[in-house]
Amino acid sequence: MNRCFVIVMSSIILLALSGTLALGAAGEEIYQIKQGFKLVPAIIMVALLCIYIGIGFLSKVSNTSGYWVAGQGVGKIGNGAAIASDWMSAASFMGVAGLLYLKGWFGLGYIIGWTGGYVLLLCLIAAQIRRFGKYTIPEFLGDRYNSHGVRLIAASVTVIIAITYSTAQFKGIGLICGWIFGMDYTASVFFAAGVVCSYMLISGMSGITRNQQIQYVVLISAFLIPLWILLRKAGGTGILPQLEYGNIISNLMEGQTATGQLDPEATKSLREAYLPWGRGDFYHFIALVFTLMVGTAGLPHIMIRFYTVKNEDVARRSVLWGLFFIGLLYWSSPVYAAMGQFWNPAGGKAVADVIILSAPERAGLGEAFIGYLASGALAAGLSTVAGLLIAGASAIAHDWYATVYRPGCPDRQALLVGRVFTAILCGIVVLFALNPPALIAQIVAMAFAIAGNTIFPAVVLGIWYSRSNKYGALAGMLFGLGMTLLAMFGWMVKIPMFGDQGILPATSSALIVCPLAFLINILVSNAMDARLDDESAERGDNILRKLHNLPDHIEENDNQKKNAFSN
Amino acid sequence: MAKKPRVSVNFFAPSTAGMKAETSVAKAILVLWFLLSYGIPTFIWIAGLSDPNGLGESFLTDARFLGFPLHYWLLAQGCTVGYLILCKLYCVLWGFKVTPLRKP
Repeated sequence: MNRCFVIVMSSIILLALSGTLALGAAGEEIYQIKQGFKLVPAIIMVALLCIYIGIGFLSKVSNTSGYWVAGQGVGKIGNGAAIASDWMSAASFMGVAGLLYLKGWFGLGYIIGWTGGYVLLLCLIAAQIRRFGKYTIPEFLGDRYNSHGVRLIAASVTVIIAITYSTAQFKGIGLICGWIFGMDYTASVFFAAGVVCSYMLISGMSGITRNQQIQYVVLISAFLIPLWILLRKAGGTGILPQLEYGNIISNLMEGQTATGQLDPEATKSLREAYLPWGRGDFYHFIALVFTLMVGTAGLPHIMIRFYTVKNEDVARRSVLWGLFFIGLLYWSSPVYAAMGQFWNPAGGKAVADVIILSAPERAGLGEAFIGYLASGALAAGLSTVAGLLIAGASAIAHDWYATVYRPGCPDRQALLVGRVFTAILCGIVVLFALNPPALIAQIVAMAFAIAGNTIFPAVVLGIWYSRSNKYGALAGMLFGLGMTLLAMFGWMVKIPMFGDQGILPATSSALIVCPLAFLINILVSNAMDARLDDESAERGDNILRKLHNLPDHIEENDNQKKNAFSN
Repeated sequence: MAKKPRVSVNFFAPSTAGMKAETSVAKAILVLWFLLSYGIPTFIWIAGLSDPNGLGESFLTDARFLGFPLHYWLLAQGCTVGYLILCKLYCVLWGFKVTPLRKP
């Protein structure tokens, strides 16, 4: 009861606050799709959400001791589906298709960045982090470097990533709610906040465990089924849309669309979009791909997946399956983008983030199918937001409040702090979502830049370089975080250097910043090696012994750890 | 109690047989990953250098594969399928090189 009250009241106060502060009319996309309340999609949405939550209840009954703990039977395929289900968000659903629609070939950088990152994760991090076992990423870094400073920066980064990432999801959820219920963007963001809070209340209150495998099936089917019909309408055979849209792209490059042959000017623009450097140059492409890759490998909520699998073998094999299931989504996003170009070649930025709704609408697909698609996107956004807000809040409650600020505080107190911060984070996200600074996938890319510039170097050196110590980690992480935030701020106030064409774009800053963060960590660690205290050296070494199966590892329990920190 | 000697872990200078095996697998896959992720865009870039408009038009953009412009297919599907193969290869190599060392 207490918990409901705190969350609801804080949400209401913050919502009211953010409402008065909302300045701009963001979400112009909403006017590009059909207006008005839509009954069939609304019913599908409610039904899908009920299934979504219902599955959780059923899982709870059949599996009381917790999904992962009891999940001895969950193999590589199941865990792969879980990885993919966690990964799939409004950004994957709506944002990638939107960017491909807008940027043509250049947008493919998002697809290879977000898939190639898993190879990096697999080679450098997955197996070792599985051996470490049971803690969060701030906890891993804090323990490995034996430093509260490192722990706090990692926790702050987790919170910033949660806010940035959630902002993009909120924009997506807002656009979907706007389409289904015919509200304007501001109203639908508030509505979305209400939906998110009630979703978290319902799913959190009953302590349900998410059954990610079934959720994955729901999400991917919502994304894939409309494609078959869409491609058939565009003149294909509709057998395997992912292989059939090639001809449509080739024709688009010649200016042939559903509305007939375009005029020479429009043809030229469309052709440019599909040529390699029509929408961005080589440097920016490589910078984007690199940033998304190190970001993928450095995202705390993705790394955490590997703590929870049965053993190392499953950890490795589930990356393969996870990547396959994510691939299904990313082999299909370009089809939506191509369909969008085919039916509506001149939509531009205003339609990009709603292209997965707009393209089927133009093609006359019918509300039921689009409703199913929209509901899938909504479900993807909701579960991602819920997960992120809880991860962000627990970083504050667990890694800061209960470990650093008040070690040994009662669990109830830490739990309450967590709940209050969940509501506060939700309010902050609404504030940003009302006036989003960029396209959905671009906002998400900024979250990846933060992860790639701060967490990734610290984790990789923490695992693979024994001389790396707390001084190096602190210097490297502060540099990475500072530079990324500077680039993001520069992007928002439109300084050319940090813009789309600048030398350090906010979405792609890691190509320069990440290697420097590595270098700073290594140099400072070596310079300060002589000043490192014995306890830090010994605790770091002890964790390395565990990560690399070296002899003489000593298990630490939590009490020992707390004592060590309070000394 | 005597102080334990410091642990030595370095990706480029592995100190034990197990670490050697692990890093050799990781290095092999990372080299292929690098070629795939950055080699293909670089190839498209070099091929398109002769385009006077600077848009990167070349034989890669003119060629068709499964109906796709080749430069489009290479990234949209070629790379992602390549990553899947790399993940599989990593698991297979690990089975060959690392797993035998773990057996008692």
